[in-house]
Amino acid sequence: MSDNDNIIEMNNVGIRYDQGPEILSDIKLALPRGSFHFLTGQSGAGKTSLLSLMYLAQRPSRGRISVFNHNLSFANRDQLASLRRRIGVVFQDFRLIEHLSAFDNVALPLRVSGMDEKEIRKRVTELLTWVELDAHMHDKTSTLSGGEKQRVAIARAVINRPDLLLADEPTGNVDNIIAGKLMKLFVELNKLGTTVVIATHSDKIINDFAYPRLHLQNRGLHIYYPSDTSALGGFHV
Amino acid sequence: MSDHVFIARKQELPLKGENTSLFLQVIISIAVFIFAITLSGVLSVDSVVNSWNKSILGSLTVQIIPVNDINKEKARAETLVYEEKAVEFLKSVNGVTRVSALSDEQLNELLRPWLGDGIDISELPAPRIIDVRISPDAEFDFAQLAKDLAAASPQASLDNHKLWLNKLIAFADGLNLIASTILILISAITSGAIFYTTQMSLGLHRQIIEILHVIGAKDAYIAQQYARRMAFLGLTGGIIGLFFAVPAIFFIGNLALAIEGGIISEANLSVGSWIMILSLPLFSMLIAMLTAYYTVKKTLKKML
Repeated sequence: MSDNDNIIEMNNVGIRYDQGPEILSDIKLALPRGSFHFLTGQSGAGKTSLLSLMYLAQRPSRGRISVFNHNLSFANRDQLASLRRRIGVVFQDFRLIEHLSAFDNVALPLRVSGMDEKEIRKRVTELLTWVELDAHMHDKTSTLSGGEKQRVAIARAVINRPDLLLADEPTGNVDNIIAGKLMKLFVELNKLGTTVVIATHSDKIINDFAYPRLHLQNRGLHIYYPSDTSALGGFHV
Repeated sequence: MSDHVFIARKQELPLKGENTSLFLQVIISIAVFIFAITLSGVLSVDSVVNSWNKSILGSLTVQIIPVNDINKEKARAETLVYEEKAVEFLKSVNGVTRVSALSDEQLNELLRPWLGDGIDISELPAPRIIDVRISPDAEFDFAQLAKDLAAASPQASLDNHKLWLNKLIAFADGLNLIASTILILISAITSGAIFYTTQMSLGLHRQIIEILHVIGAKDAYIAQQYARRMAFLGLTGGIIGLFFAVPAIFFIGNLALAIEGGIISEANLSVGSWIMILSLPLFSMLIAMLTAYYTVKKTLKKML
């Protein structure tokens, strides 16, 4: 596999906060374009930290990260912003802008990239209808239920058809029917070429969808494939 | 779905409802009020100095020092002779366009503000005055002219107004310097207030800014929202400040005109000066907008 086929590459990456111990050590990872992975690990294992490195919210304490073949060590602020536009993120706590409507929250990535308002209306209306939120399109997100907020957050993450989709417990607040529908959306996006990483605790989802698993344990990253019952040598190269 | 539903697009950063908005608007209003008054003062002083300069540029004054004699009538007659000699000499000088010796009535009029009514100049050992008009293009060697005049009429002395005018100009320059310092201080204080309230606001909206960054917003996108809001506060604050400043400028102008002696009767603001004063809200808008924009850009650089 050539370098160009990897969406994300991490080499000897470590991350620590202030002067504390490393949360993650010597992470070595290559995510091929169009792959689908689950990210697992106990609470506090560093899933959120690893995801935040992937969506460029922080720099590693050491090591090298490349995203879309851009070495982040040399990326300036505007380049980072341009790279982020190709990444969709679903947060566990949604991180919606509460005083905005569901429509405006979902429209954000498109507005930030300067898309025409007419096209924005068309796309956002379509997507909100698809996630069954058309009736709440103009409601402030602060008035929505947890499940509805989650769907808004997912719609915002996928509205610009990202090259990389990162989701932290995306089905944690919805019922099984909606969860199945959302997972179907992720799978469809993946079939269209989006690389997907989903952090989850749900064994049901992991078992239902036979995708490889990135497992964080003892500050390191281990890769499990669907048929495996143990780690394959610790690191995926 | 009707279009109007989408028109009322809200800004991602809720800057409109911030408590600091009113504070900034008041600060900017006060700043523009003081700025306008000070600026009108500077422009008025400039207009007065220019008017003095213009009025004396083409003139000289010659004084005939009264002859000292116990016999008053004899002294007056001799003084008038010296005056006559000086007039004759001055009329012969190239570049002099008019020479007129002030009459007793004119001298009385000049002295009235200091000595009151009912004075008789012929009874006082006051100097005689000759008003001399010269061609603005003529180049004079004033030192040589004074020497020649003294030779023609020993009691005559020449005053080309430069000395007292220079002192007045130095005084006016001093006033302008103080006023300019005030203007700079006001601008700095206003910019400082905008800088700190913007930083405070960035801290307050940190979560929204992080969301905007995650979805790919560049710093300029966020800075523009602050710039737009501050431009509005700068403009409205400026208009409010100006609304109170204009009547105050007229009031101060009327007080100045009421001073006797006509010293500052020329303290009228020109159309250009008024345009400058009336455009202050645009200036405050620009300052507020740019300060906010660059504060945001600078502060966000510290974030990833």
